[in-house]
Amino acid sequence: MRAIFTIAWKDLKALLTNPLFYVIGGMCTVLWSYTYMRSLLEFAERSRMFAQPGMDSGPNIQNTVIMAHISLTNLLFIFVLPALTMRLLAEEKRMRTYDLLLTSPITATQIAVGKFFAGWGAAVALAGISLLYPLATRLVVSYPMGPLFSAYLGMILVAGAYVAVGLFASALTESIMLSVVLGLIFNILLWFISQGAGEGHFYTPVVEYLSLGQHFVGFIMGAVKLNSTVFLLSLITLFVFLTQRVVESSRWR
Amino acid sequence: MIEVRELSKHYGERLAINALNFSVKKGEVVGFLGPNGAGKSTTMKIITGYMAPSSGSVTVAGFDVFEDPIEVKRRIGYLPETPPVYHDMYVGDYLRFVANLKGCDRTRLTGLVNSALEKTGLQDVRGRLIGNLSKGFKQRVGLAQALVSDPEILILDEPTVGLDPKQVAEMRQLIRTLKGQHTIVLSTHILPEVQASCDKVIIINSGKIVAENSLEGLSKQMSSGGGHSISVRVRRNQEVIVRGLSSVPGVRATTNMGNFIEVQTDGDETTVERVAGYVVQQGAGLLELRVQALALEDIFIKLTSTETAH
Ligand SMILES: Nc1ncnc2c1ncn2[C@@H]1O[C@H](COP(=O)(O)OP(=O)(O)O)[C@@H](O)[C@H]1O
Ligand SMILES: [Mg+2]
Repeated sequence: MRAIFTIAWKDLKALLTNPLFYVIGGMCTVLWSYTYMRSLLEFAERSRMFAQPGMDSGPNIQNTVIMAHISLTNLLFIFVLPALTMRLLAEEKRMRTYDLLLTSPITATQIAVGKFFAGWGAAVALAGISLLYPLATRLVVSYPMGPLFSAYLGMILVAGAYVAVGLFASALTESIMLSVVLGLIFNILLWFISQGAGEGHFYTPVVEYLSLGQHFVGFIMGAVKLNSTVFLLSLITLFVFLTQRVVESSRWR
Repeated sequence: MIEVRELSKHYGERLAINALNFSVKKGEVVGFLGPNGAGKSTTMKIITGYMAPSSGSVTVAGFDVFEDPIEVKRRIGYLPETPPVYHDMYVGDYLRFVANLKGCDRTRLTGLVNSALEKTGLQDVRGRLIGNLSKGFKQRVGLAQALVSDPEILILDEPTVGLDPKQVAEMRQLIRTLKGQHTIVLSTHILPEVQASCDKVIIINSGKIVAENSLEGLSKQMSSGGGHSISVRVRRNQEVIVRGLSSVPGVRATTNMGNFIEVQTDGDETTVERVAGYVVQQGAGLLELRVQALALEDIFIKLTSTETAH
């Protein structure tokens, strides 16, 4: 437990104090601010139209502005989280600090899990920044909080999966460039795997179940489904486990 | 403290070390000496549990490195060839991180970090970023890292490589001060390092141990049967003495070196006595007479070059 915490804390600090985090956070913030303002204005415009007499209900802010924000955030995470996680193990190998980890009285599992939590923590920090937009909106327009939180729970779990995948990519190579590219490819594969599902094939339900997007949609719709939560947690566990195997195998070369 | 048995390691087809056997006793300072590529780092990496051997076994303080890696790693402080430092960390934070990794008692952390800083003379830079330190200081931080958990065993892989002469001297001084507090194994490809710091030397070449002995023992071992050389300095009649000495029983050859005479003998002490007696008897004005055992340098070259010949 202590070893996991020690590694997680060190790496989280390294991630959050790295200029890269601020570049990424800054870019995301610019994008979020721009798109959020635009969709808010659009929403206001359309609400005014619907507010004419004879119309029953106007557009719902949740389904338009907030959902768009969350989809954008998810899309950004696919590209941005591998850039955060790329250094987690690749950098240790490149700088030879890996030697310190592998000769310390800690297990490969503790290394993998500690690194995962560090990456996840940084991802949650980014998600936290994006949450400020819908929260600020609540100051002026009231809407139910439930779906917002289920969507963010989903986002944090999905971000966990991206982080685990990125960590695994980082374990495979010494090169930071390769690490980020691999992480990106794995993430995109995970996200778009449902495209290959087709319709009516015997494997369609299986492929759909394996698709990250399919599960995330449920969360956005305001449903915290047990099977989706289990799926995402298993995906995280799988990739942390694969990372552990790679770390462990470095002893046998 | 450390027992190495029939240790071998292949990197693919390449045999890096071949059936090594040696042991290190508690409190000893052992120099692991060999030319580049001899297999020193490989052996150390296996002892520290960094990687597994192809065959053979290592026990440290009674624990097998592969069955109880955690117990072994708890007892070892390791300085790899490249100091394993994070350039974006502060010296003090880094040492605290390492002490935490090593599982040191939480209440002692601050004390341990302070004492490692003090031993390595790093107090003044504890608040500096490691990335901004000079190579010599990074190496010291690497040593402080190995020391911070106050381990029973220190394994130092070429601790002075790449340092300038002043830094080398400081590093050697530092290692000398650690003597007695830890069992130390240090590797080097340069001889003075061993002479400066070690009790015992293991010479390794092309993955095999070619000699294992104390420093004096090694010199003796090599010179026995090989003979001594005596250098003699006289005030007068150098030419006559050179010619005369060659007929003294036990003397194999004499050479006039200009400033002194080099006499090769059979290595017997009575020969030394006869040589001294002859020079005095001739009234040549004996200024100096020195018996030279084979220098460690020569031993090293002899051992490592004969091995690589095939
Ligand atoms: N990771 C590796 N892969 C392949 N060969 C290696 C590797 N590390 C070392 N070697 C080879 O093993 C031999 C011993 O290397 P090493 O233990 O580093 O020697 P030393 O530390 O004495 O210079 C060398 O011939 C080296 O080329
Ligand atoms: Mg080496």
